[in-house]
Amino acid sequence: MYLQATIVLIAMIATFAISSWKLKSTELSMVVTAIVGALVGGFGFPARLLVEGMFTFFDVGMTFITAAIFINIYSATGAMDAIVRAIVQNFHSKKWIVFILLGGIMLIPGALTGAGSVSIFVVGGMVSTVLGYMGLGKKKVVGFVFMFAVLSAVCPPINLWAMLMCAQANMPYVGFDIPLLAPLLVIGTFTIIFFGWGAKPKDKQEILDQLPEPIEGMNWIRISLPLISLVVLFLMQKYLAFYLPVLGLPLTFIICALISILCSPKRKGIKSWFSTINVTMEQVFPLLATVISVGTLVNIMTATGVRGLIAITFVTLPVVLIYVAALFFLPFAQGSLSYGSAVILGTPIIFLFNSIGVNVTIVAAALSFMFPLGDALPPSRIVGRVTISTVEYEGSYMSFLKAIMIPAAFMGGVALLMLIFANKFSFLVVY
Amino acid sequence: MLIALNDIVHILYFVMVGFFAIFLIKQFFKREKKRGMVYDIVYAYVIMVFLLRLFYIK
Repeated sequence: MYLQATIVLIAMIATFAISSWKLKSTELSMVVTAIVGALVGGFGFPARLLVEGMFTFFDVGMTFITAAIFINIYSATGAMDAIVRAIVQNFHSKKWIVFILLGGIMLIPGALTGAGSVSIFVVGGMVSTVLGYMGLGKKKVVGFVFMFAVLSAVCPPINLWAMLMCAQANMPYVGFDIPLLAPLLVIGTFTIIFFGWGAKPKDKQEILDQLPEPIEGMNWIRISLPLISLVVLFLMQKYLAFYLPVLGLPLTFIICALISILCSPKRKGIKSWFSTINVTMEQVFPLLATVISVGTLVNIMTATGVRGLIAITFVTLPVVLIYVAALFFLPFAQGSLSYGSAVILGTPIIFLFNSIGVNVTIVAAALSFMFPLGDALPPSRIVGRVTISTVEYEGSYMSFLKAIMIPAAFMGGVALLMLIFANKFSFLVVY
Repeated sequence: MLIALNDIVHILYFVMVGFFAIFLIKQFFKREKKRGMVYDIVYAYVIMVFLLRLFYIK
């Protein structure tokens, strides 16, 4: 059994490497790998397993789409531009406050969608413009945008790595808010100080001239109402669960998108909103395809015993080895398998730590700080590539990696400390 | 009352799936980025998932 699963695993690794190289699509490579795995494992063409697998993370994909639609519609109303403009207007002389607020803005879209690339798509361009005028060089700008994009993906309420690990390990996705927010504050502060140190802001008027003109009729009620509605709906579903229908995240985001449309000072036609949705769908498609493809890969790995092999190998490893290897293996797994890494490597680690009495909520939170570091690593490099193109960074990819190395290492260090001293941090878990 | 509302939410979920499927089908034929045969295949199986859910097959 071990030998057969090992052969299937080797065949799958080889197929994934070759198809990633030839097809240049991580999503399709995962499906091809799954098919080859099934063929080698003696399942023939696995039509049923493939279709079943595609539905594993379908609801996560729906959350992706609807959250991205909400944030893009919100941006299309001009609210996001107004927030950035207000920050520059009121805090230009206080550069650290500007950096903190820009970091905060970067966090919102990713926190709501679970995808760092959405943060870059929605506010990355605007934030990089302001950072440039605040005196940061391109290298620092690209580093700042990347780091906050990955932090936004980790930020609650939607942390896909933690959600996927919880789904696979049969544990509820609750109590994660503070274990994710506390280290995020530490890493975010370090990132701001690291990139912001020595920056000399340009003239305030020059910055304002570069930003989009404020839309007539935009006020704080129109800006804040969609966001307040979102928070209220979240809280109502949490605390008034017995008096409300189960809305779910997708419908919550759609309701807030409709509120954004109603709050828009510009009266746009339905065609214009449809065009925004069309652009959003194209924007999130790679992420949607990734979560759907990962499902097939995981399903075939389960059927052929490969997942069990990996899980058994991890569960029987000495814990010290996990501490040593996690920071290396998890980001690289993220680079190749994207969110599938959380399911394939994260879940066995959860089981291992659970079996030795360690607080698994802290462990899952710690791991979810390690995976996103791989968003800059090959073969997928999703967030890294998007950051470079959005910021229009002209240096080499290696110079980009060097720019993010120190804050990324700090983030990895914080995550590793959380993992090692998980039980000492269990006071952070509040239900 | 709550059961009826839950049923409505359930129906709305399928309406959303259908709505997004329309955009995906449109992009299968005409899109700005990710052109080429490889992504035609990716679009095809993603659309299939949406259609299977929409028609209550899976």
